[in-house]
Amino acid sequence: MLVAALVLAAALGSERLSFFDLTEQQRSILFDIRLPRVFLGACVGASLAVAGAALQSLLRNPLAEPYLLGVSNGAALGTMLAFVFFTGFEFARPVFAFAGAVIATVVVYRMAKSRAGMNVERLVLSGVIVTTFLSSIIVLLTSLLDAAKLRSFTFWLLGDLSQATKSGFYLTLAVVVIGTIVLSSQARALNLMMIGERDAFDFGVEVNRVRIVVFGAAAALVGTAVAASGSVGYVGLIVPHLVRLAVGSDNRLVVPFSALAGATFVVLADTAARTLIAPRELPVGAITALIGAPLFIYLLRKN
Amino acid sequence: MLDIDQISVRYDGREVLRDVSLTVKPGQIVALLGANGAGKTTLIRATNGSVEIETGEIWMDGKTIRSLSRRETAKKIAVVAQENETKFPLTVLEFVLAGRFVHGGAFGWETDEDLRIAESVLYECDLTDFRDRFMNELSGGERQRVVLARALAVEAEILLLDEPTANIDLAHQALMFRLVRARCREMNCSAIVITHDLNLAAEFADKIILLKNGEVHAQGEPREVLTSENLQSVFAVNVLLDTNPASGNVRVTTIY
Amino acid sequence: MLVAFLALIVAGCRSEEKKAASASESVPESMRTVTDDLGREVKIPQKIDRAVSLAPNLTEDVFAVGAGDRLVGVTTYCDYPEAAKKIQKVGDTLNPNIETIVALKPQIVLVSTASQLEAFSKILADNGIAVYITNPKSLDDIFKDLAQLGDIFGTQDTAAKVVGDLTDRVATITRAAAGKMPVRVFVQISKEPLFTIGKQAFVTEIVKRARGESVTANIETAYPNLSKETALALAPDVIILSDSPDNQEPNDAFKDSPAVKNARVFRVNADLLSRPGPRLVDALEQIARDLDAATRK
Repeated sequence: MLVAALVLAAALGSERLSFFDLTEQQRSILFDIRLPRVFLGACVGASLAVAGAALQSLLRNPLAEPYLLGVSNGAALGTMLAFVFFTGFEFARPVFAFAGAVIATVVVYRMAKSRAGMNVERLVLSGVIVTTFLSSIIVLLTSLLDAAKLRSFTFWLLGDLSQATKSGFYLTLAVVVIGTIVLSSQARALNLMMIGERDAFDFGVEVNRVRIVVFGAAAALVGTAVAASGSVGYVGLIVPHLVRLAVGSDNRLVVPFSALAGATFVVLADTAARTLIAPRELPVGAITALIGAPLFIYLLRKN
Repeated sequence: MLDIDQISVRYDGREVLRDVSLTVKPGQIVALLGANGAGKTTLIRATNGSVEIETGEIWMDGKTIRSLSRRETAKKIAVVAQENETKFPLTVLEFVLAGRFVHGGAFGWETDEDLRIAESVLYECDLTDFRDRFMNELSGGERQRVVLARALAVEAEILLLDEPTANIDLAHQALMFRLVRARCREMNCSAIVITHDLNLAAEFADKIILLKNGEVHAQGEPREVLTSENLQSVFAVNVLLDTNPASGNVRVTTIY
Repeated sequence: MLVAFLALIVAGCRSEEKKAASASESVPESMRTVTDDLGREVKIPQKIDRAVSLAPNLTEDVFAVGAGDRLVGVTTYCDYPEAAKKIQKVGDTLNPNIETIVALKPQIVLVSTASQLEAFSKILADNGIAVYITNPKSLDDIFKDLAQLGDIFGTQDTAAKVVGDLTDRVATITRAAAGKMPVRVFVQISKEPLFTIGKQAFVTEIVKRARGESVTANIETAYPNLSKETALALAPDVIILSDSPDNQEPNDAFKDSPAVKNARVFRVNADLLSRPGPRLVDALEQIARDLDAATRK
């Protein structure tokens, strides 16, 4: 399915490309602009979906999503700070995004921990508090920026793949592959953690280590995705759900399949974003939200 | 063989267990009795490593539990506790297979052996019909049996059971205990069972430990331990003691 | 309770102000009616001494028609001419500070359609402050605005002179451009994301007059964000960059375009391109010069 989506995405765009005998210019469009963007979209989609799947299992909460837990906003704030203070360095962005994601995760985690142990409701509550707090800081920062920077950020915050570069792509690809492998290695442990942390501990899972590894990997995945393209929402929430409907709750299947499904989802959404009002573009995050929100409501009702 | 050597456990500054010692030989079933808050669950949790011991040590096969890794401990000690509600759809088989986690690798796909063991355990617990059903479709009692099955699937040397018959109907209560006893006999493993049912304890346990306020009040064979004074002291109830005519074991009747 | 009490006091003060304002309003001969760009009938006093401008282009307009000394409030972005910098600031175009405006007791507030004054129209009306809305979309609209402002401030002569000068300058350019082949121009407003000028942008007209043809002239909206593929395919001969910090180079999509290959990339002061005021003609002249230079190379 992913391959089909990729081919479709490569074929569609604001400029028509002929199938055979591409002109020099068309070749440039395809290889310099369209394909890097499509592949970046695939990586971003895979990253977010895998992170979402892992977090949902770890936190035993089907509503866990990088955005809800403050991870996305932490990454977004990190990226903004990198942009404002370190405009020169291209690598500052993903590094700061990762830092932001990790810090947000740690804060949420600490807030949620009570003596009785990790209560999932508390975790989601802490996540919402942190995410809204970070949101307001982001809004504050954007209102302090001058109009020119403001415009570029507002668009980016909604999820924008138009700034895809080759180097950005390689980094995101590396992180996605490593992150997915790491999380897949923890998949069986996550299966046990899905039942309960105490149960997982009793049956041999090193709960603390798994928590750190999964949070760390999720933060890295979300951080790089957000640094590359802003907050593309709903992917981490919807895709794992759909995958579970298809293959069951076994994380050894859900994690890798979420990567593929997430990639497909974002590639298709981005293709729509690029072609619906061509030659103008919509932010891809708007499309994922448009599809994601009603889909989510539908899934909720089915349960 | 499990050797609990004078352990103390502190929780929030309060001493929950004090100077508790207990030896469990292979093949033995030990019943752990006491009023609520006496420290029974804490003792179980200290044994499997989930609660920290302040002083004393727990030895197993010559090594302290402290020195073993999580995986090694979980291979030797399996727990049957109250079941958590799962928010994700999980089948009975998948649930039981979790017990095989310690025997597998990281990416860990189950081996045929794992599956065979899981199926046989399901059969032992009279759950074969439920194999592919979802956990949240079962009743509380049925789920408890699945929890026991999972622990049995570990094939551990020690079984720790925290009120395993809490929600179970009469027929299956006896089944659970019989299963544990049969398993202990077959595999020469031991079990520590927390229960409130004094008579079940009398029937199935080789040894009884009475805990009062974190200390061992009495331990020994059922007939020795289940005396009026002990029961009055630990549970604050008056009892009538006689012999169960069917089994010959001591029988406790509470006087209301 | 305390809040209610305070509210009563404030309301009392307000009604005092209202009486004072309506006292000065009650003399009908000193009022007249003008029509603004939205077709609204606006009542203003014959003599305006105190005005607030809520857009940088309007500030420049007012100074141009010789009434700059009557401005008592401008936005934080109003930085031209030099004298404008010394005027009290009342916020920015999108979010003006209503309290500061009212405290300055202006007789008229000059507004561009982007401003969010709707919410405050009642407060302004209560305080006898007229709101004049402008929406210049072309050079002619700008000239009309200048004339209107001259009328409002009673400086019709100065205004007429300014409009006359500007019209002459525009005519010169238009003449020079006549008959020559238009140059394909891309105006880049921001590099990432890529923004340019579209159908409804007034700069599109400027480019046309300067003997250029905006390659994005047919795209809907005033400032569309453009797909890089299309940008690449457009292959403009000249690129004009609106000179702001995030727009110092052409977007990567243009790296093989004739404009970049032949080094035909020009910068124009961002303020000149974004303010539909008298300096738009400066922009026109500069663009015309750049395009000439480009064709001669």
